[in-house]
Amino acid sequence: MTDAPVTSAPADAASDIPRNPPQRSLTLHRALARVWANDRGLWGQITAVSHTTLGLRFMATALVFFAIGGILSMLIRAQLATPQGAFLDTELYNQIFTMHGSIMMFLFAIPMLEGLGIWLLPKMLGTRDMAFPRLTALGYWCYLFGGLIMLSALLFGVAPRDGWFMYTPLSDATHSPGINADVWLLGVTFVEISAIAAAVEITVTILRQRAPGMKLTAMPLFGWYMLGTSVMMLVGFPPLIAGSVLLEIERAFDWPFFDPARGGDPLLWQHLFWLFGHPEVYIIFLPAAGVMSMMIPILSRTTILGYGAIVAAVLGLVFLSFGLWVHHMFTVGIPHMALAFFSAASVLVAVPTAVQVFAWIGTMWKGRPQLVLPMYHILGFFLTFVMGGLTGVMLAIVPFNWQAHDTAFVTAHLHYVLIGGFVFPMMAAATYWMPLITGKRRIDGLGEAAFWVILIGFHGTFFIMHLTGLLGMPRRIDVYPDNPEWIWLNLTSSIFGFVLTIGFAMFALDLILQATLGKRAARDPWEAPTLDWAMPVPAPNYNFASLPLPEQAACGAAQAALTLARGEGVLPGAPRGRREVLVSTVSGARPLHVAVLPGNTALPLALSASIGGFVLLMLAGLYALAGAALVPVAVLIWVWARGMAPSGDMAQVQAAPGLRLPVHFRAGVTLGQSGLVAFLVANGTLFASLLFGLAFLEVVTPGPAAPSASVEHLTMGWAMGFVVATAGLGVLAARASGSGAALAGLLVNLLALAGVLWIGAQLDDPTRHARDALRAVVAGYVGLHLLVAAGMAGFVLDQLRRGEITPDTPGAAPAWRLWQEFTAVTTLITALVILVQAGVV
Amino acid sequence: MRWLGLSLLGPLLWALLFVAVYGAHGMACAGVTGPEGLGTGARLTMVGLWLAGLLAHGALLLALPHGAGLQRFLPRAGAWIGLGASAVTLFPVVLVTSC
Ligand code: HEM
Repeated sequence: MTDAPVTSAPADAASDIPRNPPQRSLTLHRALARVWANDRGLWGQITAVSHTTLGLRFMATALVFFAIGGILSMLIRAQLATPQGAFLDTELYNQIFTMHGSIMMFLFAIPMLEGLGIWLLPKMLGTRDMAFPRLTALGYWCYLFGGLIMLSALLFGVAPRDGWFMYTPLSDATHSPGINADVWLLGVTFVEISAIAAAVEITVTILRQRAPGMKLTAMPLFGWYMLGTSVMMLVGFPPLIAGSVLLEIERAFDWPFFDPARGGDPLLWQHLFWLFGHPEVYIIFLPAAGVMSMMIPILSRTTILGYGAIVAAVLGLVFLSFGLWVHHMFTVGIPHMALAFFSAASVLVAVPTAVQVFAWIGTMWKGRPQLVLPMYHILGFFLTFVMGGLTGVMLAIVPFNWQAHDTAFVTAHLHYVLIGGFVFPMMAAATYWMPLITGKRRIDGLGEAAFWVILIGFHGTFFIMHLTGLLGMPRRIDVYPDNPEWIWLNLTSSIFGFVLTIGFAMFALDLILQATLGKRAARDPWEAPTLDWAMPVPAPNYNFASLPLPEQAACGAAQAALTLARGEGVLPGAPRGRREVLVSTVSGARPLHVAVLPGNTALPLALSASIGGFVLLMLAGLYALAGAALVPVAVLIWVWARGMAPSGDMAQVQAAPGLRLPVHFRAGVTLGQSGLVAFLVANGTLFASLLFGLAFLEVVTPGPAAPSASVEHLTMGWAMGFVVATAGLGVLAARASGSGAALAGLLVNLLALAGVLWIGAQLDDPTRHARDALRAVVAGYVGLHLLVAAGMAGFVLDQLRRGEITPDTPGAAPAWRLWQEFTAVTTLITALVILVQAGVV
Repeated sequence: MRWLGLSLLGPLLWALLFVAVYGAHGMACAGVTGPEGLGTGARLTMVGLWLAGLLAHGALLLALPHGAGLQRFLPRAGAWIGLGASAVTLFPVVLVTSC
C-alpha cells in the first residue's frame, strides 16, 4: 500500500477537476449493477440497503397505511352520516378515530416524506446512495414492525382510543386501563426510530455528499427544504419521545409525572406533545413545498423566482414553527400574556408561507405553465392549502379559537392543510416521478378524472365541516343530537367523503396501470435541468455511472446523462468491486475523501426485530424480561459497529485525472462522525425536554409542593462531585490515545455509573412526587449515557487489540471522544440540577 | 460555512429572547419573583429584555456585511427574520398587564 500524497482538487474549485476519459457505457453499467444490486429473491428483499429500493418501499408501505387510514375515515363518516348512528359503538368509534389520526400522521405522512427524501435526494444531489444505508433499512423495519403492532391492536380490539394526541389524564392508567394507550406510546416511539434515523442521514447526505462543486447556495431547492425538515425532525421528535417514555413509565410503574394529586401536571404532556406536534405540521409541509419548488419551474418552462427568498422563508419557518405550540392549548387556562405571545407568533408564521406561495405564483406568471397532470394537482394544492392557511390564521386569533376549539371547524382546517399541503403535492410528485420509478408512461385520461373527483370530493367533505363546526358541533363524538342544522351538513359531508375515496381509488388505479401496462417512457420526459433525470429510466440502484461535475450538471439532464453514463464524471464505475461515494466539504462541495458504503445485510432486520421483541414484552407487562431483551439489542449494535471497522483496500482512490482521494477509514471527519453530531443534536433536545419538564413542574405546576428531599446533603454533594469528576476523567481518557487510555476510559465510566446507581438508590421514592420521579429519570438518562460511553471505550480497546486503530486509521476513537464529551456535559448539568433541587447548593 | 452559521444568528437570537421573556413571565405569574405576580418590576424586566433584544438584533444587522450573492443575502435575511419575529411575537409585553 504505497499511498501518494492526497492531491485534492484546487481549493474550493471542484469545477477545475478534469473529466475522466470516456469508457463503454454498457461495461460500466454491468460492473456497477453487480456491485450495487440487491441479492436475489426474498432474501434480497430482506437484506436490501439500497436507497432506491428502500425509498420506494417506504412510500409503497405508506400508501398502504394511507389506504387503511382512509377506510377508517369512511367508517367515521358512515357513523356520523346520521345523528344517532348505530354503525359503531362508542368504544370502537374512539379506537377508529384515534387510529385514523395516528395512522395518517405517523404511519402515512412522516414515512412518506422520509421515503421521498431517501429515494430522491441522492438522485437530485448527484450521489449514489444515502450516507448510512444500513440505517435506512433499520428505519424501514422499525417503521413496518411498529406499524404492524399498532394495526394488530386494532384487529384485536385493543387499539388506542384517546385521540391521536393521547391527552392525559384520559390516557393514564386509571382512565385508560388495558394496553390500548401502551400500544400507542410504545408503537409510536418504535416507529419514530425511523424518523430520527432518516433525519440523521438526510442531514448528512445533503451536507456532505453533494456532487463535486454543487455549492450549498446552488443546490436544488428540494435539498434546502429537506435540510430544514430533517433539522426540525432532530429537534421536534425528541420532546414526543420524552413525553411518551414518561407516560409509559407512569402507566407501568406509577411514577406520577402527569398526576396532579402528586405534583404532576397533565399540561406537561400537552406541552411536550405540541412541542413536537406543531413543528410536525411543518415537517410534513416542507418536503411537499420542496417538490413544488422543483416541479413548478420545470412545468412552467422557466427558472424559480426568488431562490434566495425561498431559502430564507424555509429558514424562518424552521425557527418560527417552534414558537407556536401553545396555540393548540389556548383553552386550557394559560396566562393572557402567553396567549398574546403565541397568537402573535401564529399569525407571523403565515408570512414565510406566503413568501413561498407568491414565489410559486410568480414563477408560473413569468413562465409558460403546461396543464399536465402534475400541474392539476399543483393547482389543487394552491386552492386547498391557501384556504387551510386562512382558517389557520383565524384560529390563531384567541377569541375565535375559544369559540371554534374542538369543533368540526378544526377538523376541517387540519384536513385543508394536511391534504392540501401534503397529499395534493404528493400526488403531483407521484405523477411527475412515476416514469423514473417505473420506466413507463401514463395512460391518459384516468389520472385527470381522478383529480377532479378528488377535488370535488375533498371540498364537498371538508368545506362543509367548517359550517358544521361554526354551528357548534364538537369533534370526536360518535352520536349527536337531532339538531336540524347539523343533520344535512353531516350527511352531505359523508356522501362527499365516499366520493373522495373513489377519487383516491382511481388515482391508485392510474398508478397501477402505468406501472403494468404503460408504454416505455422516454428519458427525461419533462425536459428537466435537474440531475434526477440524468440517468436511465427506471433509475438503477447506483443512479450514476460516474458522479457529475459542475459543467455536466449545468448542461441539462439529457446531455448530462450521456457523459455520465460513459464515465466522464468523477469516480467512474466500480473498479474496486465495492460501493463507493464521494464525501465533500459542506459549503463548496470540494471532494475530501471516498466513503465505502456497506453492502446488503440482514443486520438491520435482526436489530429492529429485537427492538420489536422488547416492545412486545413491555406491552405484555413482562418488564424484567423486557430488560433482558435489551441484551441482544446491545450485542447486535456491537456487531453493527464491527461492520464499520477499517478493512479492505486502504489505498488512495483515483477519482479523476489528478484527483486522488483517501478512503474514509483514513480521512478526517467521516460521514459517521457527522451522523453522530446530528444524533447528538436530537439527544441533546431529549435531555433539554426532560429539563424543561423539571422546570415546568417546579415553576408552573400548581399541585402539592414536593416534600423536602430526604437525602443527606453532604454525602449527596460528594457523590455528585465524584460522578462528574469521573465522567470528566473519561473525557481526558478519550482524548488520549493507546490501550491504557481506553482501558482507563472503560473503568472511569463504570465507576461513574456505579456512582449514579448509588445516588439513584439514595433518591426519594419516585412514586412519591412528580419531581422525584422526573429527577430519577434524568439520573437514569445520565446512567445510560455512561453505560454507552463505557461500551464505546471497550469497543476502542477491542479495535486497538485487533490492530485496527493506527496513527493513520482512527477507528471508533473520534466517535467515543464526541460521546464522552456530551456525556460529561449532561452529567455536570444533571448534577447541578439535582443538587439545587435537593437544596445542597 | 461561516455564512451558514451567520444566517442562523438572527433566528437564534429570537429563540433566546423568546425563552428569556417567556421564562420571566412564567416565573412572575407563578409568583416566583415576587408576590405581586406580573407587577411593575416583572413587567419592566420583560420590557427591558425585549428592548435589549431588539437592540441586539439591530446591532447584528449593522454588523453584517452587505453585498450580492446568497452567502451575503442569507445572513441578512436571517437577521431581518429574527428582528421581525422578536418585534412581533414579544410586543405583548408592553400591552398586556395581567397574567
Ligand atoms: C381520506 C380522506 C380523509 C377523510 C374522509 C378524513 C376524515 C376525518 C374525520 C371525519 C375526522 C374526525 C373524527 C372526529 O371528529 O371524531 C378525522 C380526524 C383526523 N384526521 Fe382525517 N380524514 C382523511 C384524511 C386524513 C389525512 C390525509 C390526514 C393526515 C395526513 C388526516 C389526519 C387526521 C387527524 C390527525 C385527525 C384527528 C384525529 C383525532 O381527533 O384524534 N386525515 N378525519
